[in-house]
Amino acid sequence: MIEAFRIGAVSRDRTLWEGVDLAAGTGEMWVVAGPPSSGKTVLLHILRGERRPDSGDVVVDGESLYRGSPEHNRRFRALSGVVPESLPAEPGKTLRELFLLSALALGGLTENEREGRMGDLLSLVGLSGAENVEISSLSASERARAAFAVELFRSPRYLFLDMFLANAGREWADRMGALLRALAREEKTILLMERRFPDEWQAQIAPSPLSAGPFRLYRLAAPPRAPKEKEQQAPVSPVSGTAEG
Amino acid sequence: MSVPSLWWIDWTLHGGPMRRETAGRFLFCFLAALYFLAMLLSGGVDRFLAGQYTISAILHIGVPDDEGRGIAGKVAALPPVREARYHDPEQAWEEFRAAYPGLESLRGEGRNPLPGYVEVRLRPGWMSDEGIAEVRSALEPVSRVEKVLTGGDVMRSLLRMKRWANVLLWSGFALVCVVFLAILLMQEKARTARLLPEVSFLAGRGVPEGRIASMRTAGAVVAGILVALLATGLAWAALFLAARHLPPVRVAVGSAEEMFDAGFLLPAALFILCAAMLQGLASLAGWRATFPKGR
Repeated sequence: MIEAFRIGAVSRDRTLWEGVDLAAGTGEMWVVAGPPSSGKTVLLHILRGERRPDSGDVVVDGESLYRGSPEHNRRFRALSGVVPESLPAEPGKTLRELFLLSALALGGLTENEREGRMGDLLSLVGLSGAENVEISSLSASERARAAFAVELFRSPRYLFLDMFLANAGREWADRMGALLRALAREEKTILLMERRFPDEWQAQIAPSPLSAGPFRLYRLAAPPRAPKEKEQQAPVSPVSGTAEG
Repeated sequence: MSVPSLWWIDWTLHGGPMRRETAGRFLFCFLAALYFLAMLLSGGVDRFLAGQYTISAILHIGVPDDEGRGIAGKVAALPPVREARYHDPEQAWEEFRAAYPGLESLRGEGRNPLPGYVEVRLRPGWMSDEGIAEVRSALEPVSRVEKVLTGGDVMRSLLRMKRWANVLLWSGFALVCVVFLAILLMQEKARTARLLPEVSFLAGRGVPEGRIASMRTAGAVVAGILVALLATGLAWAALFLAARHLPPVRVAVGSAEEMFDAGFLLPAALFILCAAMLQGLASLAGWRATFPKGR
């Protein structure tokens, strides 16, 4: 569980926000909606343990990310995945190399396992056969989905997605939403930073938002799975597995 | 079934540039190894000089050949001596005649005016004032020896020049090592700079930078051992063939068979180890330059 207590952030001598509370439990998906330059990415970095908040604290599984042991912070980052707002595209770098890097972070995967998992995940995000495509030649939507697939490769317990739905595009919102809900059902904790709550989801979910600073927080709890369904689905799920503990 | 490992992170993620850089590193390591092995065998100019220089112990006229051979045998047992050979008076006369034709008349009524002598050649490592003095002090007290010829003052200045020549040659090797180290450091800095985005990615996903650095360094040492082993092996083979088939090379570095001596192989092994450690240290230094401790 990720809990943020009264956190605040200052950027370029300007207080972005303060007093933000958030508690994201296991199997929950949160959409943090905020206008441009409101500090969504800063919030994401703070919640991931990458940037110390200027006030308040972030606690994961009962231990502070910033006042606790550095090992706890490192372990949390090992268990979490992050899809950045824009995926850096070095010339000549292919998607296969990104997956290779993810495999290095995970460790212990054979080439066959890596290839199989990469193929499954790319087809899941609509990029079948794109293993050798250069990242620089991908569209913004494709890059966002590719970055998502790369993170899923490590099966992180926590997922942080920065402008993922906006970048993926309207036509992918439903499919990605279904995928994210499936992940939440697998007891992942998901945090999406978006400009606004996706219209495509309004009709299906229609949550009532909470206000926190400049943000509107939408909590989407995954419907619990029937035990039988859980048993049947777990072995074939393309996203199941464990990241480093 | 390959499993990607942090040991080979550079090779896994930047195989092309790594191959090119390693080829250059191998070439340089080969040249350094060739230089080092040639210096080990030749001792700089020691072997060449030792091949040219002899100490002559002139015996009294009338010393029997058996005694002359006995003196040569005893001298040969001295540590600085590579070879001691007795030349009987007849051999000495033939050598004199060959050197000074037309002076046959000196041998009046068939009497040989020349005595026998012992020709002493030093080991290359003993081509020094101390080596010469040790042989001289062993020969001078022998009653059958009339005179010991060692080259006198000329030899002293020659030995001084030899020392300077050796210093110059070893300095050349040191320069090769310094250039090699500079190239290694430049390559390693470029490598870590290239790795920057990947390290950020990994660190952001909970892989400690220290672990990446240590595993990378271990990989660099292993790769360094392979490169140094191959380069030194190739240099050894090249020198072996040259010493076996090219007489001028043999004069400078000695016979190819000496390349199997433990006294030669041990420093060669040490060279491999040093070259590998140097590559590991350069890898760590390159890392530290890009990712300072406690950043």
